[in-house]
Order: sequence, then structure tokens, then C-alpha cells
Amino acid sequence: MSEELLRVENLHADVEEKEILKGINLVVNKGETHVLMGPNGAGKSTLDNCIMGNPEYKVTEGKILFKGEDITKQKADARARKGIFLSFQAPQEVPGVTMEDFLRVCKKNLTGENIRYFAFHKELAATMKALDMDDSYASRYLNVGFSGGEKKKAEIVQMLTLNPAFAMLDETDSGLDVDAVRVVSEGIRRFKTDENSLLIITHNTKILEDLKVDFVHVLYDGKIIRTGGPELVDYINENGFAELIREGE
Amino acid sequence: MPSLSGKVNETVEDQRPEIQGVNSSIYDFRYETHASFETDAGLTPEIVEQISKEKNDPDWMREFRLKSLEIYQKTPVPNWGPPLDGLNMDQIITYVRPDTPMRGKWSEVPDDIKNTFERLGIPDAEQKSLAGVGAQYDSEVVYHNVKDEVARQGVIYTDMESALRGPYADLVKEKFMHLVPPTDHKFAALHGAVWSGGSFVYVPAGVHVDIPLQSYFRLNAAGAGQFEHTLIIVEPGAYLHFIEGCSAPKYNVANLHAGCVELYVGKGARLRYSTIENWSKNMYNLNTKRALVEDDGIMEWVSGSFGSHISYLYPMTILKGNNSHMDFTGITFAGKTQALDTGAKVVHNGKNTSSHISTKSISKDGGICVYRSEVIIGKDAIGAKSSVNCDSLMLDSKSRSDTIPAMDVRNADSDVGHEAKIGRISDEAIFYLMSRGLSEEDARAMIVSGFAEPVAKELPLEYAVEMNNLIKLEMDGSTF
Amino acid sequence: MGEQNILKVNPLPTLTWNHLMLNFANMPLEEKAQVKADIPAEFNGIETGMGGEFVSYVESHAGSVQLIRAGKGEDLGVIRDDNAGASAEVILIDAAEDSRVTFYSHVSGTKANGTQATRLVKVIAAARAQVTVIQSQTAGNDTMIGDDFGAIIGDEAGVHLIQVQLGGKAAFAGGCAALKGYKAGFTEETIYFGDESRRLDFSYVTRHTGKKTTTSMLASGALFGNSDKVYRGSMAFIHGCSRSKGREAENVLLFSPTARNRSIPLILCDEEDVDGQHAASIGKINKELMYYLQSRGLTESQARQLAVESRFNPVIDEIPDEAVRQEIHAYLERRMNLD
Repeated sequence: MSEELLRVENLHADVEEKEILKGINLVVNKGETHVLMGPNGAGKSTLDNCIMGNPEYKVTEGKILFKGEDITKQKADARARKGIFLSFQAPQEVPGVTMEDFLRVCKKNLTGENIRYFAFHKELAATMKALDMDDSYASRYLNVGFSGGEKKKAEIVQMLTLNPAFAMLDETDSGLDVDAVRVVSEGIRRFKTDENSLLIITHNTKILEDLKVDFVHVLYDGKIIRTGGPELVDYINENGFAELIREGE
Repeated sequence: MPSLSGKVNETVEDQRPEIQGVNSSIYDFRYETHASFETDAGLTPEIVEQISKEKNDPDWMREFRLKSLEIYQKTPVPNWGPPLDGLNMDQIITYVRPDTPMRGKWSEVPDDIKNTFERLGIPDAEQKSLAGVGAQYDSEVVYHNVKDEVARQGVIYTDMESALRGPYADLVKEKFMHLVPPTDHKFAALHGAVWSGGSFVYVPAGVHVDIPLQSYFRLNAAGAGQFEHTLIIVEPGAYLHFIEGCSAPKYNVANLHAGCVELYVGKGARLRYSTIENWSKNMYNLNTKRALVEDDGIMEWVSGSFGSHISYLYPMTILKGNNSHMDFTGITFAGKTQALDTGAKVVHNGKNTSSHISTKSISKDGGICVYRSEVIIGKDAIGAKSSVNCDSLMLDSKSRSDTIPAMDVRNADSDVGHEAKIGRISDEAIFYLMSRGLSEEDARAMIVSGFAEPVAKELPLEYAVEMNNLIKLEMDGSTF
Repeated sequence: MGEQNILKVNPLPTLTWNHLMLNFANMPLEEKAQVKADIPAEFNGIETGMGGEFVSYVESHAGSVQLIRAGKGEDLGVIRDDNAGASAEVILIDAAEDSRVTFYSHVSGTKANGTQATRLVKVIAAARAQVTVIQSQTAGNDTMIGDDFGAIIGDEAGVHLIQVQLGGKAAFAGGCAALKGYKAGFTEETIYFGDESRRLDFSYVTRHTGKKTTTSMLASGALFGNSDKVYRGSMAFIHGCSRSKGREAENVLLFSPTARNRSIPLILCDEEDVDGQHAASIGKINKELMYYLQSRGLTESQARQLAVESRFNPVIDEIPDEAVRQEIHAYLERRMNLD
């Protein structure tokens, strides 16, 4: 079970001409769940955005390989079609396009198959129900007027519907109440199989409780300063990052 | 699929590789003109007399035409708005009468004209989803028909010429160019002098016409003008949805459309007037539309402007009656070589009147969109409320978009609100959609069609599909 | 009073329907012997809000100019206009790199020494300069007011214009900012008060040519009596001004059935990568607010006054002179208790 899915090599990246990532190395194999932790401003979201291909984030050095292919220069849609997914911290609102229509177009695009309207509708309704999300959201414009929590759930609905090989969750649990965290966590567990992989950014380890975590990385000042197993989560919960940062320096 | 383009769905695929920005080639087929009568180009009292004689006008109409011509000659061209230099009135043929009398059956319409309307999908739509259809080819109406069950309710739907001589002749005389007098502006005067064709609709009190009536205007002759007159009277408590469609093939000479629409909405009546305009890119579309609304009446406009080289179009509503209401929903898409100056006007005179104007514009490939409006709250319009919302989208930096809204409030017991936004599609929104697998072009097309959705939502399904097809065409053949 | 000269002022940057009478305004000014002021070349050609006719009138009647020069890095603090109330005066502010200056000029009912007071302020703000100009007036009912402003704004410089138009027989005012530098910024705040038969006529224009330039224009007013007000506010985003942003808002409270308000907020745009928004809200005072204030024991007139002052105070507070602020408060209180 050590088939390599994602490889990040010596990744350096700038945002608005400021270097944020300063040499990241990371390998995610098929079936693994990785957790990315670190203080605010460490570069966690930058790493996610670089892997997804956000043009605002300029990779200045290093490369990103997915299933052995160098994707560093590819556009976001090409990466999405290869199976990469990002659950955004602040998803965009798209007026005039309903969530259901949007997802049907995306699904058709990713699978290349014609999507049967009725079957898709049923499947989507079931997914939303599992996430405790009112199915009226399917016919609302994508993310428009959704509360913070509903936006996060909608991202998970998208993940479950599009079923990517590699999903990154960028603070999907922030802004959710206790019940919602449980529901989302359950959704993530439902998604996870031996065939796909996860990279989770979180401050709130509640979302990890029911998941089998393989690796935990601590990111600080654009570098991974510590990699460990799930026990690192407990350590950080108790001691914070200060000690790790001191050791790292 | 009824309506404007008819076989759009088939032809979009075929033509996609050739599409360069703005394209109306699906409308751009034409047949040779076989007119039975054509005036010389240019405009003189003799020509106006000639039109009047040819049309067998009543005396008052002949005099009206000559008076309008005088006004036309005295009135200057507007000093505001897009340039009209390319419009040489001496070269516009004002009256082109097709070589056929008006028919009530498509089988009697000459083949070339019938083929034109068939390619536009009109007879097909008539059967499926319309209560009646009028079809105008160049200057005259060639076909008019209204379903029996609608006619039995007392609804009149006929061409203007018949109306001038029919049982409603007095009513027509009373209302004709009463809302839009020839003194209104230069092209209203021109219309008064040379108008021909158009429709007359009369909906008796309390009659609810469940399915829409449609008029389709096709200008086929090169260098011609179309000056149809539409007069609609919706009596108290009645309801009508009227749909207007226009198209023309592309010629290298300027064509002119200076139609006039006058709408009378009675007490407690409701009229919805929908237009999808896709004139070819050599057209000067200088159209005047105006509605007068009595107590508790409702006027609804849905307006899509896609075609023409230059447009001046500002449907106006006079809220005369107390508690009357107006809703305007519009979209304008200007591409290469187009300057579309569109908007709305509303005058609140009655008490507790309300109006809502919501417009969207998209500028692309050097196209110019101007949103222009006026909201006037009169002295006596106590309790009036008006809100205006306009959103402009710029798709590149070659294009232009201006917002010119005027408000004039003359009493203290009213509320007027106005909001406008201009901008581009955000990079973040494109990235978000691309991260779900859409190509950049598809992401942009999806955002644009979402932007237009509030207008599409107001149209009957077939027309919404039609409008989306037009947007897709304009968006450079995206596959979404 | 001498001969009258009718000037075409406050031109709209693009034309619209003539019947609205918004394309420009006619302003009567006294025809007097001309005493031309010497204008340094660099100040010629600066576009103002009120337009060329007004500028040449004031420049050819002012006699002299007040020239304020802030050297590189210099902070001139607050400069008061001692000549305020003159029939025509020209103030030129040349702010070099990294300099700061605040200029304020107040015309009060007693200070206007004739039947007209016109002020023209032109500003050149070099890189990173910060310039604030405040023009306020509580002139009497016989005075014709003209307050014009024009600025050229350089890289990362900021210009702030405050106009407080509360009195006069008629007040014409305008401002224009040419945002030429990278990240140049312009903010404008106007408050106005109309009562009796006062005519108020405004025109503000911002022209964005530099990249990442920003503007904010806010106007707030109250109209009583037979007052008649026109507000033109135009933002022009010119090709090449990518990543620029503009915000414009006008709030008008109408208190009289015979007052008239006209507003025309424009956005002119031929650059894709911009973000422009404007909003206007015109109408009667919020009934719930009135009720709330009255439930606390305020009379209707007091409540109205409070509602107006709550909108005006943030702007009045920016006037750097306690005596002037007091005078303005007293003026508003007196005027609002008239009816």
C-alpha cells in the first residue's frame, strides 16, 4: 500500500512577491491521511493552493508531482481532472448557478460520462441529507448567502459528489458548531477508502477523532519542522507549537 | 423550440469554428427582396404622401404624417448618446412593402417569406406555445393569427392598418402617438411620418390571456428602415403577456429601426412585455417604448438587447394611477462594433406607486454598454418607492461600460434607492471553478450565464434557452 | 450690485437627456473689473470640478494667489485661510515628496464682505504627500458661493477634500482629482444643508489613470423649505488603471414637500480590472428612528436635528478649529428651528 500519489519536492512559493514556502518536501501515498498543523501564517493554505494550482501563488523553485507526473505548471482544471480536490477555507459565491447544476456540470466534466438528471438529483439529495444539510440548498445559487457553516458543508458535499483521488481540506472544521463538526467528520470518514488520500489542515483536532491519521506535519515559517504519527496531535494539543518551533530552530 | 432563432441548437454546433466574438450569422440568411412597392431613398413630403396614399390612410393620418415630417425636419439629432454619424437618412428606404397582402394562414404566405419565418421557428412556436402570432416582413405585416379560444374572449390582435379602419378605429385614433408624441424626439417624429406595420392588441376588461401573444419583426431589405407601430390596450383587470422578437440579416449598409410601442394598462390590469432583440450589427435601433399605468395596474418589462450596431432604448413607464407598479428587468450584451445605450425611465405621479429597475450589462471585445436611466418622483407621488440596481461586467480592457442614472425627487414622502456596481470576473471565482475541473473558458462562461440568470428567469423557458444560446455565441463558442 | 455674468459650471463628464437639466449649471457671478492673478505654469491645466469657465473667472478676478509650498518631507501642519470671504480667491498648494499640509477656509455669514465669495483651490501632491483641504461656509442668504477644487495626485500620495456647504443664496461647489500615480488616493466628503430657497449644485469627478488608485466619495445632505439641490458624482476608470477601486455614496434626507433633489452618480469605465460601486439613498427620515428618539423625550424638531447632525458631525469634527465647529453647530441649530 505504498503507491505514491503526491510528491512535493523542495517547493518554494511567493504570494504577492513575498516568499511564503521555503522548501517543502512531502510525499502522500495512496490510502494515507496526512494532517498539516502549524501556527497562523506558517504557509499551510499556501501549500494547498500551490498543489491546487492557484495562479496567485507563484512557485519559484521545486516541483509538484501527481501520480508520477510533473504538474507544477498545469492549470487548476487539469489538476482537478487528475483527481485533486481542495475544500476551500472561504469558498467563492457564484450567483445565478445553482449548486446542483454546477455539480452536474463538474461531474460530467470529470467523468466524461453523461449524467442522468434524476439519478444525480437523488444521489445529491442523499449526500446532503447525510451532512444534515437541507436539500433546498441544491437549488440555491452556489454558496450565495450560505452561512459560514453551510459553505463548509457544501464543500464536503462537493467532495463526496466528485469523489477525488486526493482531497485537501483547508480548515473545513473552522466556523462549525460541535454538531456540525461531527456531521462533517462523519462525511469525511465516509469518503475515505484505501484508494484515496487526504491532506487535512486543522486547528481543531475534534475533526480527526474518528479518522485514522497516518502522518502529522508541523509547518512553520514555510518549512516542515516536524513529521510524526498521530501522537503528535496529542502533543500539540497539550503543549502548542512553541516547543517544536524552538527545537526546529 | 419556438422564437427568435428557431434552429439555433442545430446551427450553433455547425458554426462554432467560425465564430469570432459577436456573431449573428444564424440570423444572417436572406432572400432577394421582391417588393411590390418601394419608395425612393431619402425623405420628402412627396415620399410621405406616397406612403400615405399607398397605405390608403384615413385623412387624419395623412395630415399626422406630414405634420410629423415637419417636426422631424426641425428637431436636432440628440447631442448625447452613441454617435449617429453613420446613419444617412437620405439613404434609408422608409417603406418597403412586401409583394403579398396580409394572410391568416401560413400556407398562403409566399414561399421565400414563409421560409424565412420557418427558419426562425415562428410557425412551430405558434402551434406549441403562443396564443397568437403576428409576423412583419420589412414594412408590412404578412401574417396575423390568433387562436380561436382567445378570439372568443374578445381579444383583438391584428395589424395596425386593419385596426385603423376596423371597429376600433376611433380608439386607435385617440391613442395613436398619444403617449409618444412626434415632438418627443427626432426619431419619434420620423416614426410619425413614415410608420407602417406593427400590431394592435385589445384585451377586454377582466380577460386573462393565459399564453403569450408574439410579434416578430424581420427586416430583410438592405438599406431599409422599419418603423412598426405597436399599440396595446389592456382594459381594467385584464392580463396579457406580449413577446416581441426582432432580427435582420447583415448588410454592408446601415439599416434603421425606429419603431414605437404604446401600452395602456388599465385599472388593476397587468401587462408583461418581453423583448429579445437580435438585430444584425449594421442596425441603428432607435426604438421608443412607453407605458401608461392606471390605479393598481402593473407593468412588467423584460428586455434583452444583443444585436444592432447602435441602440438607443429606454422603455418608459408613467405610473399615473395610485398604487401602480413597474418592474424592469434587462440585460444588454455588447460585443465588437456595438454601442448599446439602454436603460429605463419611470415617472411616478400616483400615490404609493412603486418601481424596481434591475439591469445587467456585459461588455466584450471592444463593445460599449451604457446604462442610462431616469427616475422621476413627482410632487403628488406621496409614498412613492423606487429602487434601481445595475451591475456591469467588463470582460476585457478593450471594452467600455458607463452608468448614467439620473434621479429627480420632488416630494419628501418618498424613498429612492440606487445601487450600481462595475467590475470584472474575479480571479478567485475562476480559480474556484477551475479547481472543480472546469476549463478557464467554461468557468468564465458559467459565471457570465449566472450573471444573466436573473433575466433568463423572467422569460418563458424557450426564450430563456434562446437567450442563453445568444450569450454562449457571444462568449466565443464555449462548450459549457 | 454690478453686471451679471452667467457662467456654465459643473459640467457632467458625459451628456445625458437635456430635459433633466443636469448636463451643466448656470451660475451668475458679478462682472467686475478684472485683476488677473499670476498662476505658476505647473498649476495651469489642472482640471477642477466646476470647470474651465469658473476657473478662468476666479483666476482673472482674484488679483493675487496664495501659494503654499511644502518642501520635501516638510510638515506644514494646519494653515488657515485669512482671506476667506473675498469675492474671488485662488489658493495653490504644491506639496513635494513626503510632505504634509492641511488647509482650511471658512466663510461665515459675517465674514463674507460682498454678495459673492468664490474660492479656487488647486493641489499638486507629489509622491507620498498628504494634503487635506477643507472648504466650509455658513454664508448669509444674500451671498453667492462658488467653491472649486482640482488636484493631481502622485505615487502613493493622498488628497482629502472636505466641503461643508450650509449657507448662501446659492452654493456651487465641485472637485476633481486626477489620480495619476501608482496607489494614489483621493477621499472626498461633502455635507450640505438646504433651506428656504437655497440652490445647491455640485459636481465631483475622479479620473483614475494610475494603477491601484482608490477613491471614496461620500455626500450627505438635508433639504428643507424650497431648496433645490443637484449632485453629480462621477468616477472615471481610464484604460490602464488596473486594480483601481472607487466607492461613491450619497444620502439625502428630505424634510419638505417642496424641496427638490436631483442626483446623478456616474461610473465611466474602459478598464476591465477595476472595482467600482456607487449607491444613493434619497428620501424621508426613518420613521422608527424618529419614534425611538421621541420615545426618549425629544420633540420632533429635536429628533430631526439629531438625525441630521448625527450624519454631519463626523465631517464637521474634521474641521481643525473649535470656534468654527461651534459656529457651524449654532448655525444648524438656528436654521433647523426656523420651521
